[in-house]
Amino acid sequence: MNKLLLLGMTFITGNILFSQGFQVNFQGQKQQGMGGAGNALPVDAASVFFNPGSVSFLKENSVNIGFTPTFANTLFEDANTTSVGRTNSPMGTPFSAYAVYRKNEESKFFYGLGIYTPFGSTIQYEEGWTGRFALTKLQLKSIFIQPTLSYKLNDKIGIGAGFVYTIGNVNLQKDIPVQDADGTYGHAELDGKASGFGYNVGLFVQATEKLNIGLSYRSQVNMEVAEGTATFTVPSSLSSNFPSGTFSSALPLPQVATLGLAYKLNEKLAFALDINYVGWKAYDTLAFDYAQNTASLIDTKSARNYKNTIAFRLGTNYSLTEKFDVRLGLAYGLTPVQNGYVTPETPDANRINYTAGLGYKIGEHFQLDASVFFTHLKRTDANIETNLSGTFTTNVLAPGLAIIYKF
Amino acid sequence: MVAACKPKESETEYSAGDLNLSNFVAIGGTSTSGYMDDALYREGQENSLGAILAKQFEIVGGGSFYQPFVAENSVGISADNLAQLILGYKTDCLNITSLSPVRKASSGDASIFTEDLYDGAKPFGNYGIPGFYMAYAFSPAYSSQNNFFKRMASSTSATVIGDALNSTPTFFSLYVGLDEVMTYAKAGGKNATLLTESQFQALYSPIIDQVTSVSNQGIASTLPDVTKMPYFNTIPYDGLNLDEANAASLNAIYNPIGLNFVVGKNAFVIEDPTAGTFGVRQMVPGEKILLSVPLDSVKCNKMGSVFPFRDEFILTIDEVNSIRNSTELYNNYITAKAAEKNIALVETDDFYNSLTAGIVFNGIGLNPNFVSGGAYSLDGINLNPRGNALLANEFIKAINAKYKSNIPTVDATLFRGVIFP
Repeated sequence: MNKLLLLGMTFITGNILFSQGFQVNFQGQKQQGMGGAGNALPVDAASVFFNPGSVSFLKENSVNIGFTPTFANTLFEDANTTSVGRTNSPMGTPFSAYAVYRKNEESKFFYGLGIYTPFGSTIQYEEGWTGRFALTKLQLKSIFIQPTLSYKLNDKIGIGAGFVYTIGNVNLQKDIPVQDADGTYGHAELDGKASGFGYNVGLFVQATEKLNIGLSYRSQVNMEVAEGTATFTVPSSLSSNFPSGTFSSALPLPQVATLGLAYKLNEKLAFALDINYVGWKAYDTLAFDYAQNTASLIDTKSARNYKNTIAFRLGTNYSLTEKFDVRLGLAYGLTPVQNGYVTPETPDANRINYTAGLGYKIGEHFQLDASVFFTHLKRTDANIETNLSGTFTTNVLAPGLAIIYKF
Repeated sequence: MVAACKPKESETEYSAGDLNLSNFVAIGGTSTSGYMDDALYREGQENSLGAILAKQFEIVGGGSFYQPFVAENSVGISADNLAQLILGYKTDCLNITSLSPVRKASSGDASIFTEDLYDGAKPFGNYGIPGFYMAYAFSPAYSSQNNFFKRMASSTSATVIGDALNSTPTFFSLYVGLDEVMTYAKAGGKNATLLTESQFQALYSPIIDQVTSVSNQGIASTLPDVTKMPYFNTIPYDGLNLDEANAASLNAIYNPIGLNFVVGKNAFVIEDPTAGTFGVRQMVPGEKILLSVPLDSVKCNKMGSVFPFRDEFILTIDEVNSIRNSTELYNNYITAKAAEKNIALVETDDFYNSLTAGIVFNGIGLNPNFVSGGAYSLDGINLNPRGNALLANEFIKAINAKYKSNIPTVDATLFRGVIFP
């Protein structure tokens, strides 16, 4: 009957969640300098991502490789106590690489390839922080590989489509509220590889000399973790309660529909506006299915209840000289995370992004684009699952650089 | 670049409001003393209700809080001279070894009872005394009756309330009356009585009168319903699992007096003098088996079946109801007195009720399950450090509401729960 003592021992595994972290809108340095807009402004090979339809309106074959080191710092201030927690996340490493090619200037077909990272981040909290039983670290990586075909229907209209293959990795860690004699808490690490499929299609219309209109649609990608590894470090007396083993899970990376407008005021000055509609509603539940369940380790289903959101991205490009371009941008994004569902994984909030950029042409073939991005997020919430209640404040600074080779 | 990106902390203004917290005294019984894991020991004292409160009071200008500390390395001592409980392994009569509370040492550290810790220059703030009954609040002979008081008393003729008020506290907490209920409950109601409403009032009233005559700021606590504690809820009333042979043999014994047993779950059999001619019956839902029941006898020697549980191991429905009804009456009186004295009131019974339903603090789930529930210590009655932290938060909330103070609550994740080997 002593077994009675441990019956029904469950330790809130329900809030083991991975999440989208930050949706990362760092897919092209020119576009980043312009608030992230670029759907209707085919300026370089990054159009493979922004609007496959507009690729056919590019002027040159090119290869474009960019990298955006991302520095995010989050501070959590507990609403009821004097506890604060900070992140010491490693630098984020979103990158993008594109190549576009057509046989000759008469060809109506453009072939493209994009490799980019539209979702993923690492958020890691300092040791012993008060939300340790909700999360200590989340690393989410995803790489989208998108072969693309774009076709110029006529002088005014281009269409394009890309197939998306996604590979990724998720690593989620948190402490378990069981202590050994040293006071050390248990720890859970869930690690898994994921993959998924999707597509990216676009329509581009050069409505007038000055005005372009673009529409694009990137499908949802379901990232399935078929056989992840769950590792539990717990006091030895509880090892049979928390058997390390495998788990399965899935995470939807949402669909994004974009309407883009671009207006060229004159030879030097252009404006671009993208309006994204993001289908976060798909992320309603996060479930973990452990291969081996015990009374302490039960399969979990956690309500996420994300909602669909809209983001506005506005930017401008000014050609200072033949060689120099300067860019400025502003974006406003609504958070998909509803009140009651803010987690340490995604301390998300409505946000304003401020961006700036520079372009410099080196000779005939090379071009450098640099951008800088800053945003400040503040969100106060009481999570309904963990009761973690307080204010998350996040600053993100992301300078980026791309090199372009045209041929 | 990275450093410049760090968000700044906002500056929260904490304040004592109308309070004078320069000298805080916590008056109470076992639950106030820091007694947990069925012993008074150092870590428990360091995480006593008063100690946690005093530390928060310090943030808004509170003064020192001295406690009659047991030595760091002491195994502690229980009211029955046993050492503190820790989680270990125990092999039962069926030769099954499992995780179970065991004593940290073969006997308690009685040396603490020979200590004389009183120091007039450092008056104690913690006047929580294990086993303290209100009836002895003003008794000058109490140090000879309670060893836990003896080691901290100012003299052999000191009274608990006299000593507690000797340093002229500016703020007090008063959480008394629970030990009386607990004594009844732990005895299974056998040879014990609960204080009647008027008895309770007659004992409580002079204490709160005397305390508030010295300190006009304070907080009074209501009493939890002890029948919801794990000590009374770990062994289910219907935990008698029978195979066919055992069911048949019990039927052979008990069918003649109208008791029936089936294969599977059955209610245990208990002594009840009021039950029929033979004074034996099966338990009914809502009745409690105490954790003091010898489990080996249940498992191997047919206790609770062939040999009915004796009264001392059981709270019958009537006993459970009298505990609940009495507690409610006591609480009504405490509530009224707190209002009359214009002091804060913490509804500790509400906190225990929410714990019974299950609460989540920053991702830690807490419930009243024995050992695994996370808030109770291994005695199944007293809270562990984390439980005390959560209860202290209720005190702080009530104080803030009454005295327009803004004292932060504590981060319960910084307090330990149950330690597993």
